[in-house]
Amino acid sequence: MIVRNRQALFWSMAFPVLMVVVFGLIAREPDTSIHIAVVDYANDSVSERLIRSLDQVANYEIDIRVDEQTAREEVGDGDLSYLLVLPAGLAATVADNPPARLTLVYDDTSPISGVVIVSIERFLDQVNLDIANAIDRLALEPEGVLTQDVTFIAFLLPGIAVWGIMSFSVIGIATTMASYREKKILRRIMATPLKVRTFFVAQVLAYLLMALVQASVILGLGGLVYDVPIVGNLLLIGLVIIIGNIVFLNLGFIVGAYSKSVQAASGLGNLVVLPLLMFSGVFFSPDSLPKMLTAVVRFMPLAPMVETVRGVTLEAKGIGDFPTQIAILAVWIGVTSLVAVKVFRFE
Amino acid sequence: MADVIEVRSLTMRYGDLVAVDDVSFSVRQGEVFGILGPNGAGKTTTLECIEGIQRPTAGGITVLDTGVHQDPNAVKLQIGVQLQVSAYFDYLTLNEILDLFARFYGQERSAADLLTTVGLADKANTTVEKLSAGQKQRFTIAATLVNDPEIVFLDEPTANLDPQARRNLWEFVREINQRGKTIVLTTHYMEEAEYLCDRVAIMDQGRIVAMDSPVNLIRELPVPYEITAATDSGYDRDRLVSLASVMELANDSDGGFTLHSSDAADTLPALLQWAASSQIRLTHLEVTPGNLESVFLSLTGRALRD
Repeated sequence: MIVRNRQALFWSMAFPVLMVVVFGLIAREPDTSIHIAVVDYANDSVSERLIRSLDQVANYEIDIRVDEQTAREEVGDGDLSYLLVLPAGLAATVADNPPARLTLVYDDTSPISGVVIVSIERFLDQVNLDIANAIDRLALEPEGVLTQDVTFIAFLLPGIAVWGIMSFSVIGIATTMASYREKKILRRIMATPLKVRTFFVAQVLAYLLMALVQASVILGLGGLVYDVPIVGNLLLIGLVIIIGNIVFLNLGFIVGAYSKSVQAASGLGNLVVLPLLMFSGVFFSPDSLPKMLTAVVRFMPLAPMVETVRGVTLEAKGIGDFPTQIAILAVWIGVTSLVAVKVFRFE
Repeated sequence: MADVIEVRSLTMRYGDLVAVDDVSFSVRQGEVFGILGPNGAGKTTTLECIEGIQRPTAGGITVLDTGVHQDPNAVKLQIGVQLQVSAYFDYLTLNEILDLFARFYGQERSAADLLTTVGLADKANTTVEKLSAGQKQRFTIAATLVNDPEIVFLDEPTANLDPQARRNLWEFVREINQRGKTIVLTTHYMEEAEYLCDRVAIMDQGRIVAMDSPVNLIRELPVPYEITAATDSGYDRDRLVSLASVMELANDSDGGFTLHSSDAADTLPALLQWAASSQIRLTHLEVTPGNLESVFLSLTGRALRD
């Protein structure tokens, strides 16, 4: 039945997949090169050497121009970020009458212009030292430590999977329950010997199965298309997804109990899902939120689940590596189950 | 004839509202028992208490020698229920719904047979939403027969049907009854109660105000029959009133008269004979029998339908 509800199926599957695709595209390695236009009036050995050295700097892309006026206009228009003007007689000035002033025309509104100016100044410092044949007495060795050895899309993927499952479960169950109640289907079932319990267990099992399918599709897509490494134990991933999904299903039952119609269920469901989504670890680490929010987020069901899935999927951690998260999830399961059973009504 | 259903002092209260007020009746095996009353009379609530869907505030119900409160599932196994607003799962075909329901009863009834019985065999693989109103009602009845029940409960079975579909459904209900099943139905259509039911309980505002066969109920009416005639001739009023079974001369004008009679079969021959012997030409003659609507009106002062 869930499968045949084509509209719901489309949104539950297609939407997360769409997210994966979009984020995957956005998260491609950004273009970090800096374009510098150069107008060379000197055309001598010093200017040549200067230009060659500039070109060799890793992030710089040098563009030789002839017309200074046009180039200045382009900077003014924002089409060009940096223009370096090498004055005539450079070699002579450097030898006899230092320093030779090199004009850098730049886009003052660019947020990184300050950094680029410093970078060029540093470059010139180095040139100065070279010309003076000075020996480098101190050198810096930067050593970056990656706190997460993953690409942005890999970071996102488990979060998107959990988000997809959560939306589908909460809104799916809420609208299904509201629809059953509207249509008096539950009442009809009550007229038969079927135990109501059995009916609900069947629904829950169906949704748990769907969650596994969804997760497989999303993680599989990420793995195949964006080379996200799925290194965790698949059974473990499935287990964590099922555990977390129980919380979402309970939330769905609770929302369903308070919704007078299918539209209300859908609206209320979204109202629950969206804030959870914003304040969770899906799109960025909760650490980047202000301290107070971080604490709140840590205890919402979504963040622990995302962290656990992420850890298990990308870093092949075991359940034992996430005792706090599992504990938080367990508490959530307990609380939501109790509330769900309490507030549930047929009519 | 055994009593298959026994309702004793059934009361249902929702907060301050008393929906069913101390209702008692019995249903015999094989009869078609109707509960007639306007909307809000408490018919559906009564039915749902018997079916085990709702728990009464007070009173006891026994169905097929089993207490409904004590063992609802045993009762449910033996009955078929059609709800007033009956809906089934949107995305399952008719076949699948019937199969699913059959499994609730631990039986494997042939969905195909059931659909053929209600004339929906060709729609076996469509979903409920694609059916017409009449077809939906027929399907709902097929679903009530899934477990070959002893008693079939129908709540407003012909609501929202056009007259033709309604008649078809009546015939079908008759058919089921002829197979030996006891039928309990609720309705606010008096023609339905008159046509189908062996006995009718008239219900108003939570209470049963009368219970008997339709014929007997009508006979108990203050005015069971009205006989209206038009004539140009003059006539002797006293003679008219003295005719057999005439209760009173209700209307008397230049063009004709209306008699209230307790038995039209008695009064009519006498009237015609009198007209012939007095050389009075009746240009128009109309006999209007009482009906359950009049019964309801006389008992409660209100109409069945608002």
